[in-house]
Amino acid sequence: MNAGNGSSLPRPPEPVRPLLAALLQPASATQYDESHWDRLIPLARSARLLGVLAHRVFERVDRSSLPDRVQRHLDAGLIEARFRRQKTLYLLHTIKPILAAHPGPRVLLKGAAYIAQDLPLAHGRLPTDVDLMVPRASLDGIERSLQNAGWEFEKNEAYDQHYYRAWSHELPPMIAAGQAMELDLHHAILPPVGRIRPDTALLFAEAIHVQGSPFHVLTPLDQVLHAVVHLVHDSDFVGRLRDLLDIDMLLRRLPLSERTSRAALLERAHRHGMEQSLHLAAVLCRCWFDTPGCQSLIAETADTGSALYGRGIARLAGRVLGPASTREGATLTKLLLEGRSHWLRMPPWLLAYHAASKGIRNLKLRATKRERPAEG
Amino acid sequence: MFDVTVDLRRVRGIRGHVRPQCELVCDGIVEQEPFPLDTSLPLLEWGTNFALATRLFCYLLLHAGVVERGGRAIVMPAMPGSGKSTLTAALTLRGFRLLSDEFGVVRLQDARLLRMLRPLALKNESIDVIRRFESTAVIGPRFPKTRKGTVAHLAPLPSHVDARHEVADPALVVFPRFEPGAGVVLEPVRKTRAFARLAVNSFNYQALGPEAFEALAQLVDESSCWQLRYSDLGGAVKALGELLDETRPTEEGMRAVPRSLRVASRPPE
Repeated sequence: MNAGNGSSLPRPPEPVRPLLAALLQPASATQYDESHWDRLIPLARSARLLGVLAHRVFERVDRSSLPDRVQRHLDAGLIEARFRRQKTLYLLHTIKPILAAHPGPRVLLKGAAYIAQDLPLAHGRLPTDVDLMVPRASLDGIERSLQNAGWEFEKNEAYDQHYYRAWSHELPPMIAAGQAMELDLHHAILPPVGRIRPDTALLFAEAIHVQGSPFHVLTPLDQVLHAVVHLVHDSDFVGRLRDLLDIDMLLRRLPLSERTSRAALLERAHRHGMEQSLHLAAVLCRCWFDTPGCQSLIAETADTGSALYGRGIARLAGRVLGPASTREGATLTKLLLEGRSHWLRMPPWLLAYHAASKGIRNLKLRATKRERPAEG
Repeated sequence: MFDVTVDLRRVRGIRGHVRPQCELVCDGIVEQEPFPLDTSLPLLEWGTNFALATRLFCYLLLHAGVVERGGRAIVMPAMPGSGKSTLTAALTLRGFRLLSDEFGVVRLQDARLLRMLRPLALKNESIDVIRRFESTAVIGPRFPKTRKGTVAHLAPLPSHVDARHEVADPALVVFPRFEPGAGVVLEPVRKTRAFARLAVNSFNYQALGPEAFEALAQLVDESSCWQLRYSDLGGAVKALGELLDETRPTEEGMRAVPRSLRVASRPPE
């Protein structure tokens, strides 16, 4: 059969299936015994999905039907997520006045955007940092204003600064005293030297203003596509189950099951040159979360590149997407996928230069480390 | 059911044959820098502490030693150089039951104290102090040259292990301070100040937010709060026992009044 046949698609590895089952059928949580919870909770925690699991279970199940200890661990997941959310809101609140002087939309991406829109997918989710995209023209000014307000770069070595500024879509991560989260200042969603060059002007032009805030977010279609390229194009898939779940939920929100939304998504993907990434994400979402509409999307995107290549990558990615305990012995797979992510991020000549520079720097670092004790 | 599952394992690789090391893994994450293989017990202790402190958001976790007698607990927050572990150890060897030498585990809904029972860690001079204090104390092997100096572990008594599922009511909050030549001096501490010191010294007060505030307020409210300066360990143990007995009537009286009224009707300190 063709690529649209679900049965020929790779299934997620056995050890991660209890977590997927619990996320997809939270109502069955009442039937789990303690030994099942003993496996499930560490699994959810190491996938950074305990809060999401807790939210889904408590939404469908009366908490008194669960053992006390289970309730408490699920509560722990929700409390940690609430704390992260609070840190995110605090960061946004403090940078508001700093950004006010600069023109152009200030577009929140990923976690911060989901929180700002109060999307269901933000519930129980653990944002890792705050991603903010501003027009290239405002970037320098905003950077200076942030620095004047106490924000600084964590990596301040000349090569790092050069790497980010010349070849990346963001500045090095910024930190500030009293802020628990890092701030990533973007001017695009993918590196300007990479294989895919999304239409950044289009992203800004159609960004949606968030009511009662000075921030914008991407359109729902662009949010899907950003999540897609973030996972499929800009990562090595290792331990990125959470990012795949983001895509699943953003697709359900469209909803993807409607033909018109699929057509709009495809058209948008075409404008950004992301059809192949979308195809791969659809294969993964279909395999892992059975996202409604993905079956059709796979068929509709099958001609955008080699479907065989897509399935091959999906098979490799499937081995490493889960948390650490579910991906024993996938060293070669990891190596291949890491190579692929670098390959996609920059052209080979640049990659070679980057790898050499990093290598030389590491050698120098090691040499100075070895010298130091002798000096003292 | 387990709260956390940790995996203590030997570090693989070439180095393992020259200078073997061990590491502690929890939820697939290596929690601490590897330790030399012969100090795996201290790694288990500290690694587990870290794993619990960063995951157990379902309880308020105070950094404190806690003991109990008759179901009434003494919470002793750890300040640097406080001698909290020594005092906790001495109390458990004189009729108090150990809840924890490191974590004051506070149940959020009612501010009761839970046990996190493990061997009690003694450092440096404390090891000999406790050995002299009670010759029958069961103390494990010494681990010299760890990050915290020499470490050894005191085994809790079997009766303490049997009670590991019992909860205790908060009764005393005592801030201990070892002070040469002090003898035994007990001074009252304002509840507001005790609250602030406990909150600052907690592992997760900030993460828990409102629930932590409520639980800690109740704990401090129901406790009598003191500063203890001591150089005489036996005297300090005796004084805390007497203090615990003296505070009983007031505590009973306090608990009969609804919490909301108590807060409003308390005279200004």
